[in-house]
Amino acid sequence: MTKITLNINKKEYPLEADPQMPLLWAIRDLAGLKGTKYGCGVAQCGACVVHLNGEAVRSCVTKVSRAVGKQVVTIEGLSETNSHPVQKAWQDIDVPQCGYCHSGQIMSAVVLLREKPDPTDQDIDDAMAGNICRCGTYLRIRAAIHLAAETQKKTAPQG
Amino acid sequence: MDNQTVSRRNFLKTSAVTGAVFSLGFYWPGNAKSAKVINAAEANKFGVEMNSWVHIDASGKVTIFDHRAEMGQGSYQAVPQIVAEELEVNLNEINVVFAQGDAKKYGNQVTGGSSTVRGSYKNLLKLSATAREMLIQAAAKKWNVPKLECYAEGGDVIHKPSGKKLHYGQLVEAASKLEAPKDVVLKKRSEYKLIGKPLRRLDTPLKTNGVAVFGLDKQIPGMMYAAVERNPRLRGKVKSFDDSKTRLIPGVKNVFKVKMGVFNTYREGVAVVADSTWAAIQGKKALKVEWDDTGFEHLDTEEIYKRQAEALQTQEGLPFKKQGEPNEVIAKASKKIDVIYETPYQYHAAMEPLNCVAHYQDDKLEIWGPIQAPEWVQDYISKEMSIPKEKVIVNMTFLGGGFGRKAFMDYPHEASVISKEIKAPVQVVWTREDDATQGPFRPGITYRCEGVIKDGGIDAFKVKLAGQNNNHWRGGKKDVPNGSASEGFLKPYTESIKNLAIMDIPFETPIPTMWWRSVYASTNGFAFESFLDELAHEAGKDPLDFRRVYLKEERLQKLIDKVEEVSGWKSRAKGAGYGVAITECFSSTVAQVVKVSKAPGGGVKVDKVWAVMDCGWYVNPDTIKAQIEGSIVMALGAATIHQVKFKDGMAVDNNFSTYQMPRINDIPPIDIHIMDNDEDAGGVGEPGLPPFAPALTNAIFDLTGKRIRKLPFNLGMV
Amino acid sequence: MKQNNKAGKGKLFSVQAAAAPAAAFLTILIFIVSVGASAFRKDDAPVKEIRLIAINRDSVESVKAFETVYKVLMSPRCMNCHPAGDIPLQGDDSHLHAMAPKRGVEGKGVYAMKCSNCHQDTNTPGLHTPPGNPEWHLPPAAMKMVFQGKSPHELARQLIDKKQNGNKDIKKLIEHADDGLVLAGWNPGEGRTLPPVSHADFKKAWLTWIKKGAYAPKK
Repeated sequence: MTKITLNINKKEYPLEADPQMPLLWAIRDLAGLKGTKYGCGVAQCGACVVHLNGEAVRSCVTKVSRAVGKQVVTIEGLSETNSHPVQKAWQDIDVPQCGYCHSGQIMSAVVLLREKPDPTDQDIDDAMAGNICRCGTYLRIRAAIHLAAETQKKTAPQG
Repeated sequence: MDNQTVSRRNFLKTSAVTGAVFSLGFYWPGNAKSAKVINAAEANKFGVEMNSWVHIDASGKVTIFDHRAEMGQGSYQAVPQIVAEELEVNLNEINVVFAQGDAKKYGNQVTGGSSTVRGSYKNLLKLSATAREMLIQAAAKKWNVPKLECYAEGGDVIHKPSGKKLHYGQLVEAASKLEAPKDVVLKKRSEYKLIGKPLRRLDTPLKTNGVAVFGLDKQIPGMMYAAVERNPRLRGKVKSFDDSKTRLIPGVKNVFKVKMGVFNTYREGVAVVADSTWAAIQGKKALKVEWDDTGFEHLDTEEIYKRQAEALQTQEGLPFKKQGEPNEVIAKASKKIDVIYETPYQYHAAMEPLNCVAHYQDDKLEIWGPIQAPEWVQDYISKEMSIPKEKVIVNMTFLGGGFGRKAFMDYPHEASVISKEIKAPVQVVWTREDDATQGPFRPGITYRCEGVIKDGGIDAFKVKLAGQNNNHWRGGKKDVPNGSASEGFLKPYTESIKNLAIMDIPFETPIPTMWWRSVYASTNGFAFESFLDELAHEAGKDPLDFRRVYLKEERLQKLIDKVEEVSGWKSRAKGAGYGVAITECFSSTVAQVVKVSKAPGGGVKVDKVWAVMDCGWYVNPDTIKAQIEGSIVMALGAATIHQVKFKDGMAVDNNFSTYQMPRINDIPPIDIHIMDNDEDAGGVGEPGLPPFAPALTNAIFDLTGKRIRKLPFNLGMV
Repeated sequence: MKQNNKAGKGKLFSVQAAAAPAAAFLTILIFIVSVGASAFRKDDAPVKEIRLIAINRDSVESVKAFETVYKVLMSPRCMNCHPAGDIPLQGDDSHLHAMAPKRGVEGKGVYAMKCSNCHQDTNTPGLHTPPGNPEWHLPPAAMKMVFQGKSPHELARQLIDKKQNGNKDIKKLIEHADDGLVLAGWNPGEGRTLPPVSHADFKKAWLTWIKKGAYAPKK
């Protein structure tokens, strides 16, 4: 066990953890933030995606030691009022069914829209094919990303 | 807390203090951005009980209980949407609460067979209207005016002549003491304000910010975590185990043999209890277990299908349906179709792996988990562990997918046994590998289809199936045919085809099987509807027109007209392939047309799917569309991507790395239509699945002339 | 959609067949290859830098060493990250990487699918888990350094062409044998086969090929 401090959602979490422990379990079991999900443990499904210094890493294969000194953002920290354009678009289109994969889906989509504010369908495939949804909400994910892009465009500062 | 090191132990301590924050997340305000949490013991906070589904507190807050599991199919939306309609309350002002398992209060709570709406809507409408009438009556009494001068709207009762108004909270105490009127008048469909409208789901906001509590997110004070190394063959036993390496892992507290009930047998394993999920999983990996796998066969996939194929050639099977003289016609025919269809074993693969929290204390047991069938869990564990049924409390969390696998008692039973052993609350976490390899699986069925065409019509139609019967696992008789032998196949065919036989050849293996979304319709649909397409081509008829001849009912004719219209069937594009299939299960009929074309890199690609569902009376068309989209995606995976393979009696693929799923780049556009009529409600969650595979392969035949009779197949290799 | 991409395999097999350990056959093969190499020498001389540094030019030895080099580079451990398309390959059967991650401009993936989102500094334990390396990436879009589908001749030409090899001169090419990502091929993670020869043997063949003149086989 090692004492480490994680910065999650702009808050410091002093923890005692095995440095080999995947970030996923540190977030869930030690920091008590349950929005980030366990789906496969081998970086195949994307349910565990969090932002590590802004990148959509898969916390199930990321050792907690990699996150030390970096900014971790989980679904709980994406916005204070559930109002990030991607969250709003997910709500407007009723994307989730069971909802289990959507923390990861949303975290992936946010990175896509930051780097490509007006994504094509191909861009969406290139960004989102790493996230599995067993309920099959893929068509709505695509529609919601386009909608979020529209919203971002309208609300972005002009000039 | 910021200045203090939150070790695992500390965390458990702190969470005990602030228990409410982490525990008992089964209560959610309907449309809140963040959840409030109310303990089951505090249920009186919901106010006065009008009936098992409706509670109203003094402030007028209405709480509606969802008695069914929410696994994505939308019970959390549908049940309140039905209740709020007749109760006359605004859907965005209510609370929704998952009910505990209680058959006396709620009747059947098993969320399976696409039954949430169709199984309870009439009752829900009536009891909601009854509650509304009692509230109106209480107001009329209070105002001393005729009841007919009063009406309810938006959670208020209003006296029409004077405009006087009282909210339900001011009336509920008095209303609850009135005698319930016997024959309330229900609204006509045309009067509905909520039902039939594509209203946004109440649970969506909870699922976009991580607030929804799934089984795996459940925590209770003092909870330990456990992972179990189970025998990969159901009938195997634990011979011995070496836990010396496991016990060296920091956080591991206890290791012991455990068994859980599966059907009429027990699955054995070794449980590792630890203070974090990670430590438990590491401990499990470090175990060395020697299994005793004697006394039963260890089969490979190839051997299973070889035996099924042989059985179809050598055995006649048990008659499920037999009329006319199919065997005689086939024997005499100069030309007949005699083909084999083969479908694979499948795994449910819900995104949330199995898990369950159990807390065993002296004489009672409380369970929280992603559970499709709370009362089955209650019954089973009560018997297995000799605890009175009322002392087995089963709480449903949100389910991260179910697809049938979570309508089972094994994983709650195992968690309960472990909690009893360690005398503490525990969460048993299945790894994805556990979830993928333990089964029960959907059985893979092989079909022999024989048919004769005469004068452009079906002269004989015979389907024999060989494959595992799920009922056998549950003690079902073995000398009767599988009751689902024609599930998925439209019943009118069995009336309009004169010489017809559907035969079932009993077949068993030691591999456990159970229902998987749409059950036998998911495999039957492929065989029957592909075979019909073969017969149509043999007859030289248009596949849709050919079906029309045998499906005379007006309701089906309308469905065929609709799918013909929306898919542009009559003006099909040249250079593309079109296929159609129509199946029925759980009282809903779905027709699908699939369009395919040659893929630039070889093989074929799916360009578009059209689906038309006739599910009679319905609640939320957008939920229905979502269910059909999901069903088609799941069917696409099962038809073209994944299958469970066995080697030496064990499932081979144990994670998504080798058991690949459909992904966003695999999904074609889907155009969905719902029939409007006044028929009784049918199921929604499953009937969209079976027609996809045959519509796809029928389309591929149309494009390439190649008939695909074995699933799954690779679209890129066609 | 989920088809295996097996392009390039046929050629790989033919090379392996040629390397069958029948002595007489080998002699004939080397003879043919050397004839081929000399023909190549006339038409198409190796690039200048190599000529300068090559200590002991010998087309027969060089081409023979390249047989080993080629076998290694076309093995899944090397070829999987030098795909013909913009999606890496995976597994011993070199199928298209599940979830179809894209190369991106720098070869490090795009958007939510950057290599290092899954591939860590070290191999993740377990079967079918992401192998790891601090530098994990594909060649960049501007210089794709494709191995998949290349004949020995094409690959040898490409490897010494600074416009196609990442601007590596002979010194850098020699150093590249010990590059971290090259070495990662011999530490592939659980369940993956190693390249056909040891790293030491590969390095020996690589250096021999270069130092004897970096000749390209005729085919």
